[in-house]
Amino acid sequence: MLRKADYSAPIFVAAALFMFFVGGLLTTVVPPIVDKSWARPFDNSDPAKGVTGKLQPYTEQQLKGRNVYVREGCWYCHTQQTRTLLADTKRSGWRGVDAPVSTPDEFVYDSPHLFGTKRTGPDLSRVGGKYDEQWHRAHFRNPRDLVPGSIMPPYPWIADNEEEFQAVVAYLQTLGRAKNWRPDNDYER
Amino acid sequence: MQNEIAKSAGEIPVSEAVRYNESLHQDTTAKLFLVSSITYFFIVGIVALMIAAKFVWPELLGTVQYLTYGRLRPLHVNGMLFGWLLAADMGLMYYVVPRLCGVKLWSEKLGIATAALWNFIILGAVVSTIMGWNQGWEYAELPMFLDVLVVVAWIMFGANIFMTVAIRKYTQMYVTIWYCLGTILWTAFVYLTGNFAALFATGVNQANLNWMYVHNAVGLIFTPVGLAIAYYFIPKTSNSPLHSHKLSMIGFWSLAFVYVWTGAHHMLHGPISQWLQTIAIVFSVMLLVPVWAVVYNFFATMRGQWDQMRDNVPLKFLMTGVIFYLLTCFQGPMHSLRSVNAIVSKTDWIPGHAHMAVLGAFSFFAIAGCYYVVPKIFRRNLFSDSLANWSFWLFLIGGVGFFVTLWLGGFWQGWQWNNPAIPFIDTVVALKPVWIVRFFSGIFMFGGIVAFAYNILATMLGSSGNESSKMAAATA
Repeated sequence: MLRKADYSAPIFVAAALFMFFVGGLLTTVVPPIVDKSWARPFDNSDPAKGVTGKLQPYTEQQLKGRNVYVREGCWYCHTQQTRTLLADTKRSGWRGVDAPVSTPDEFVYDSPHLFGTKRTGPDLSRVGGKYDEQWHRAHFRNPRDLVPGSIMPPYPWIADNEEEFQAVVAYLQTLGRAKNWRPDNDYER
Repeated sequence: MQNEIAKSAGEIPVSEAVRYNESLHQDTTAKLFLVSSITYFFIVGIVALMIAAKFVWPELLGTVQYLTYGRLRPLHVNGMLFGWLLAADMGLMYYVVPRLCGVKLWSEKLGIATAALWNFIILGAVVSTIMGWNQGWEYAELPMFLDVLVVVAWIMFGANIFMTVAIRKYTQMYVTIWYCLGTILWTAFVYLTGNFAALFATGVNQANLNWMYVHNAVGLIFTPVGLAIAYYFIPKTSNSPLHSHKLSMIGFWSLAFVYVWTGAHHMLHGPISQWLQTIAIVFSVMLLVPVWAVVYNFFATMRGQWDQMRDNVPLKFLMTGVIFYLLTCFQGPMHSLRSVNAIVSKTDWIPGHAHMAVLGAFSFFAIAGCYYVVPKIFRRNLFSDSLANWSFWLFLIGGVGFFVTLWLGGFWQGWQWNNPAIPFIDTVVALKPVWIVRFFSGIFMFGGIVAFAYNILATMLGSSGNESSKMAAATA
């Protein structure tokens, strides 16, 4: 049958597009219809069902900080997903508490999404509340002052721009906080 | 079965398709695309070295906002993918398709306009990535107005190629034409999905569209157009007919069906539905079918012809590219398996894999095409065969150094990550030797770019290359 496509461009085009659209539609259009959790914000107040919490939309300031995060390309080196791997839950954890695994319903308000493909620096999916403002300011000025051996570039123009700095920190403190995963509620500001 | 393959083997000797008056072709569009793409290859090669250096010396240019890693990486990726590779591929298609159709390019004027627009887009991309006008999607960083121009340029390119095919004199379309037409059609939809449809989604849904684009930018843009080039130039440069038409059909149509399903394998173990991950894994493994069909066909074409590899530089690039294609497309299915993915995902293995596909396989094909085509369209001898041979070895040594250290380093890094007792920063410090080797491999590759670009430039400018080619032939 496909031999006809050797001689006829219209048959070729029809066959090539048909092949493409079968997989294309089934893997992009169908999944969000089948899996409702992709679009329903996380909301759980029943401790019996697991970790509690509620996903909040970003405030104006947090969005501004998020835009700086996008502009500077932080997402090229920092992923935002605690995967279903034991090591990920330990590494995203804090002070002996393992972090919960990331789920689609925690990212409903994210655009652009910032899951990332490369982990040159640590994952940031649960970084919210781990470090206070002072730590972030010093770290942006020169990461190696706080973490010897780090290869993160310094960002003095963020640390010195009070409005941008406050916005970025406000954004970072939201990361992973839809799930209220710290039993002692010991989040830094 | 054997008989059938043997029978169809000689069916479309490429040489016959080009038994045609060469002076028919004007090739202005091809010239413009090839020259500008090689220029970007050189310029973006410098950027590549800068970002490789930043892994070793993080303070380097660190306080210049416009030259941080976060700005230069998208410049490197977009510049190499769209400024160099895709533009070179398009230039080669403007050369190849008219010859396989036995007619001249449908509209040389439209082609020249396309080249001008493409250059405007690339310059716009340089400015916007450096300024940080970044949409936040990998491979789709460019701001919206440039995305719209890319679509316009792609329609102009597609119209020209499709019209050339429509007025063709040879009724049967050679494999190269299928791959070229397929690239044009699929790219249109893949690009629209990644750059426009993604705007209407958020979170995981958006990521799924983004990965469909990212994966198919390689799988349904650079793979088919790269294979279009290989299918034309391997038989051409080795002067041997393609082994099997039937096998090339199997390769093409299985690629058309299988590739698009695999996007979600970028989020294995991540926050995306398990069933979708499983589908992506199954189809990722099935990718072995089109890859092995194509690679076997190329190897069988070379049967009895391998001695030509000794001094035929374009053929060296082509067949080495085929081997890298085989390897990178073996890695792909393997690290889509959940167990392997748990180790290598997000590590330095990934850039090792990506560079082997885009540099090792598809750029090698494009470089071979340039070495073959540029002397033909400028009607001069290649400036220096010996320098071309040097460029091959520089690319090969640099490439293998880069790929191998990053695979090993990536595995090592992944194993360290999977042991939570090792603090994260220790896994960063441990990779330093890997990044040093990567940087020096980059210097080799950049040396290859310089040798390649200089050779092409000298050929175009018509420096008399006769003597040095003779000398190279004599010493070879």
